[in-house]
Amino acid sequence: MNQKLQQKIAEAMANPQNMGELPGADAVGTVGNSQCGEMLRMWIKYKEDRGRKVIDQATFQSFGCETAIAVASLATELIKGKTAEEALSLKSEELAGELGPLPPMKIHCAELVQGALRSALEPETGNKSAATNASSQAPSLLDSFNQPKSGGVKVVFLDQEKQG
Amino acid sequence: MAMIDTIYPQSTMREVLEAYPGAQRALFRRYHIGGCNQCGFQQTETLEQVCQRNGLSNVNEVWEHIKSSHDQDAKILIEPKELAEWLARDKTIRLLDVRSREEYEAVHIEGSVLMSQPTMQEILAEGTNTRPLVIIDHQGGQGLDAAAYFMGHGLSRVRCLRGGIDAWSQEVDSKLPRYRLG
Repeated sequence: MNQKLQQKIAEAMANPQNMGELPGADAVGTVGNSQCGEMLRMWIKYKEDRGRKVIDQATFQSFGCETAIAVASLATELIKGKTAEEALSLKSEELAGELGPLPPMKIHCAELVQGALRSALEPETGNKSAATNASSQAPSLLDSFNQPKSGGVKVVFLDQEKQG
Repeated sequence: MAMIDTIYPQSTMREVLEAYPGAQRALFRRYHIGGCNQCGFQQTETLEQVCQRNGLSNVNEVWEHIKSSHDQDAKILIEPKELAEWLARDKTIRLLDVRSREEYEAVHIEGSVLMSQPTMQEILAEGTNTRPLVIIDHQGGQGLDAAAYFMGHGLSRVRCLRGGIDAWSQEVDSKLPRYRLG
């Protein structure tokens, strides 16, 4: 990764915007790759503006690499004031905004953000399916902490062992 | 075990991970390396080779990041006695046990809750930083991953019990029996 990009990511990470759940959100979208441990969830709140339904606020939560967090931070600022259609028309490289062109190994980080956005912004029926996905994806990260649980864990107390 | 002062970019990833257990977490977080099979590495590869393969030209920068993350991990850790004192004066602390149900039911720190999906959702839904969160594992091997998970979700008041419940048994409450997994 070049130094300039690293610097921009570091700047975005130093003061990430719009992190955390958005109370009273109108839509939520989640995208994730549980195998990689990446997950990104996005909340959207709309408002009426001169007869148009536009994005009033967007927030995100993420577990993943810093580039995904930096892109999400920039993207949630970028889509404010846009309609869902306008926001959906943004390409992943546009969402990365001032980070500029991402190297090939980082492009999927922006795509992750685009996926979460699509999941949240697509019509109501799409959102419903996204919500279903969200509840099945998020625990998969939890599963990684809980891996031993399914394996029939046997606890052996050390003092009993000594006595035995 | 590899000693920190004998580790260099030319060391194998096995040696790097032995000396810096959080190196994989650090590599994944910034460079997306080592998270899964697609972006993983061999333990026999050197750090230099891993960087080269992933298009990272400045191995020293990666090396510095691993070391700096190691220092940051140390700041997340809380000593068992320090936690005991903190618990005595702050009743809002949430103790989150990330071990298996079997281990939790065999022995746990009073007031701790077992990590479950509803618990995780409750913590995340509660907002960012309303209550301090302390992660407890068995011997300190997995807690930092869980702490990183919650910090990745924007929670900043997250700590991890150094040495897990095993260290707590030895240094704070000897009534809690020590165990191993059979």
